[in-house]
Amino acid sequence: MRSRVFVAAIAAVALGVVAATASASPQQAQANKLTVWLQVDAQSGWPDIVAAANAQFLKDHPGWTVDVQYQNWSDHLQKFDATLAGGNSPDVIEMGNTEMTKYMAAGAFSALNKSSFENAPQWLSGLAKSGSYGGKTYGVPYYAGSRVATYRTDLFTKAGIKKLPTSLAELIADAKKIASQAKSNKGFSPVYFGGEDWYVAMAFVYDYGGAIARTHGGKWFGALDSPQAIQGLTAYKNFFLATSTASKTNDSTNPNPYDVYAQGKSGVIVGPSWYSCCVGAKYKTSTAQFVLPSHVAGKTLPGFLGGSDLAVPASGNAALGSDWIKDFTGTTSEKGLQAKGNIPNATNLLGTSINERAAARSWFVPTAKHWVDVENGNILKNMLGQILTGKLTVKQAAASASDNITSVLNGS
Amino acid sequence: MRRTQRRAAWNAFAVGLFVVMIFPVFWMISTAFKSDDEIVSYTPTWFSLHPTVKHFRDAINAPFFWADLKNSLIVVSATVGISIALAFLAAVALAKYRFGGRKLFIVLMIGIQMLPQAGLIIPLYVVLARYHQVNALTGVIVTYMTFALPFCVWTLRGFIINIPRELEEAAMVDGNTRLGAFLKILLPLAAPGLVATSVFTFITSWNEYIFAQTLLNDQGKQTLTVWLSHFLGSSRHTDWGALMAGSTLTAIPVVVFFLLVQRRITFGLTAGAVKA
Amino acid sequence: MSETEGVAVAAGASWPRRHRRLTAARVRRGSVPYALILPVIAAIGAILGYPLYNLVRLSFQHYGLFELIRHQGQSVGLRNFSSVLHDSIFWHTLVRTIVFTAVNVGLTMAIGTAIALLLVRLSAWARILLTSGLVLVWATPAVVAVQVWIWMTNFQNGIVNYVLTKLHLGDYSQHDWYATTFSQLGLATTLIVWGAVPFVAISVYAALAQVPKDLAEAAEIDGAKPWRVFADVTLPFLRPVLLILTSLSIIWDFGVFTQPYLLIGQGHIHPGNYLMGIYLYEEGYVKTDFGRGAAISLLMLAMVALLSIVYVRKMVALGDET
Repeated sequence: MRSRVFVAAIAAVALGVVAATASASPQQAQANKLTVWLQVDAQSGWPDIVAAANAQFLKDHPGWTVDVQYQNWSDHLQKFDATLAGGNSPDVIEMGNTEMTKYMAAGAFSALNKSSFENAPQWLSGLAKSGSYGGKTYGVPYYAGSRVATYRTDLFTKAGIKKLPTSLAELIADAKKIASQAKSNKGFSPVYFGGEDWYVAMAFVYDYGGAIARTHGGKWFGALDSPQAIQGLTAYKNFFLATSTASKTNDSTNPNPYDVYAQGKSGVIVGPSWYSCCVGAKYKTSTAQFVLPSHVAGKTLPGFLGGSDLAVPASGNAALGSDWIKDFTGTTSEKGLQAKGNIPNATNLLGTSINERAAARSWFVPTAKHWVDVENGNILKNMLGQILTGKLTVKQAAASASDNITSVLNGS
Repeated sequence: MRRTQRRAAWNAFAVGLFVVMIFPVFWMISTAFKSDDEIVSYTPTWFSLHPTVKHFRDAINAPFFWADLKNSLIVVSATVGISIALAFLAAVALAKYRFGGRKLFIVLMIGIQMLPQAGLIIPLYVVLARYHQVNALTGVIVTYMTFALPFCVWTLRGFIINIPRELEEAAMVDGNTRLGAFLKILLPLAAPGLVATSVFTFITSWNEYIFAQTLLNDQGKQTLTVWLSHFLGSSRHTDWGALMAGSTLTAIPVVVFFLLVQRRITFGLTAGAVKA
Repeated sequence: MSETEGVAVAAGASWPRRHRRLTAARVRRGSVPYALILPVIAAIGAILGYPLYNLVRLSFQHYGLFELIRHQGQSVGLRNFSSVLHDSIFWHTLVRTIVFTAVNVGLTMAIGTAIALLLVRLSAWARILLTSGLVLVWATPAVVAVQVWIWMTNFQNGIVNYVLTKLHLGDYSQHDWYATTFSQLGLATTLIVWGAVPFVAISVYAALAQVPKDLAEAAEIDGAKPWRVFADVTLPFLRPVLLILTSLSIIWDFGVFTQPYLLIGQGHIHPGNYLMGIYLYEEGYVKTDFGRGAAISLLMLAMVALLSIVYVRKMVALGDET
């Protein structure tokens, strides 16, 4: 019996080692391999566009292979750091546009020749800004998304709302009308978005002419305590308290607004336009979208232009990486991305979809290399929680957050 | 009379405890069978009236499920096999021999377990990259072994320490060398302990995420825990049904493995103190 | 990784001291133990040797993203250590983590031991049912359990809110379980203890099976209360097992990262609810200050060694002659 145990153990070991060595990549033979890191969004959302770009690249560079490795948003930066330490970074990497500045400042990427990319002169300014540093281009805009309102057409009709709101005041009035029609619906929120959803809150700040932070003289200064920003935050507080029964201390990720909507517990949800995918079978036909209005009648609320850039790490193959990016962000690719509900990277490609109308007026985070630390430190979220729960007044919360932001952005 | 009543009461309590304890697992499995509407509904559906296997199909058809399952099996088998074999030898040395540096070695075995693993990720990655062990299953196996060995040595030492000397001496009288006596006698007696330690190592390695995620880039080379993380990796809509189905599938091999060896464990743990 | 619990049973082998002559045979025999531990040392040394050296070296350097890319750090002496030790967040986190560890280890050991004691008193079918339940819980990967927990405690449609409201324990219909630090860490505790109990229960149960039945029965017949029987007869047999489980629980719960980090979520994590494992991750790796991260790692190692020294010494001494 004991010999059987022993033999079994040895067999397991041998099997394991053989199998593992058999599947370990023979690195020498893969000398002509281009490694590309894209997020899983591409794998599930537009695999055909990736395939087309690969095919084009292989046509232009026979004898090469493209290995696309899909990453998760939650830990792709930690993985990237490990490859930077180990000297085996990919040749192309997708970065969130708010993540770029820190890595550009550290010299993680190769400079690219901007003019070699199709439509470069017409790149959306918000996106292009995130990919340039010190006058050089390191990131090529890949795609973007803005924020829109997804709403229940039937509830609007029932509440007697004849036309879509053209100002915040009108939206609040409409929300109240919808609420009065839904008194028996427990847990109903006329407009649903989490109190700490800073993408929505900061839109108000920028709408009033404020900003999160400004730079001059090479230093950054938190700007949330400026009078305009405080006006914006106050307007946000009023808007939230008047229209949303969501948690004051949570953002809009858990639960997802579209899940709330699918349960019939909301009349309007605020978020990316792809929310319309998941509103549930029941409300699919009574769902439409509109652009959130500004406090100024007739204008739109600035939408956060979230998106991704493509960059070439310094230790990667700059020439071929650049070529692949050209293939992936050319006009055909971008039109394909547009068809999937994204905002393409250049103004000449813009259509009139809801997404693109929302992007007409946009805002972006401060392009500071320590911006990521502000996001990770949840400074904005905590501030919003304090304001909405009444723990601090708007002035107090804004002042403290502003100081915090100043010290974080100027950290070494 | 009182005893049977007491026993019945304990049994009832145990059933209640079982229900409470198993609830999260039950919820995971039952969600995997619900339709999407039932999953997000405000009124919970305990047992779906129209169970669907769509989520399981989606999970199995998700890219690289079978490849990653195979990888997990390979990595864990190799880790367990090699770790147990090497640790057994070292445990014999610690338990049955006296030699200089013994205490230091023991302290090292527990000391390594005190290291915060997060701190070692990047230095380990750099070392493995140098030997082309990144993006390779052997790199992951070797990493897992490094953390499994101290635990296995530590535990096996405890099992072996109790095997009485009389048995070894009897074997030595039979003409074996001291080491030969150990292997002939200790191995069968320690077999249950070996099995117990293997199970612990199996479960820990199967469920490990951080190092597998950092070291393996090719989706075809990843382990099942990394495969599972892709359901949550997108900035878009999360398919909860598929995630729960995938989670259920991930847990199955562990349960199967445990059921196969569980009799050995209770036998092994109780036989840890073999009294001659 | 690490549910690093194990079992060791008390006992001792002792070797009579005898004067030995040094012969060639004896030297060969004397080298046997070294040959036996050599593979383990070689394996661990080959993989961990350089990273450990690197970790120590990093702790004395300023090593951020910039330096990482250039593979070259700047030596700054003890600045990383002093910066951490002067950081009030470090001390608050340390205290919070010690309390958290004490609660988690206490609950895990108490509940696990209680379940083990229960298992002994059950009929066979009930025992198999409960053991199978324990195994299913144990087999659930941590990342999976976290997702289920998040799902169950969902603010809008979580089952916990629904059940609590239905049981008339109050109106929990839109209760946000992640609103306060206490609630967040409390949830993390339930998750961790839930996952750790099966192993403790099964190990202690196995150890209980070694308690000589006749001794316990004799004590009961003599009229001793169950609590006395437990304390005087059972506990001495359980001591070694409990020692090992407790010490390893301390080591693991002190540095726990995955469960609290994923459960509380990056969106809700802030210095006010840091645990040491999360502090290390945030300060070292998210902020890409690797030198500081290395210093924190070494400080954590020192802390946990201090916390568990009593238990470790007892375990190292197991099996020595008195």
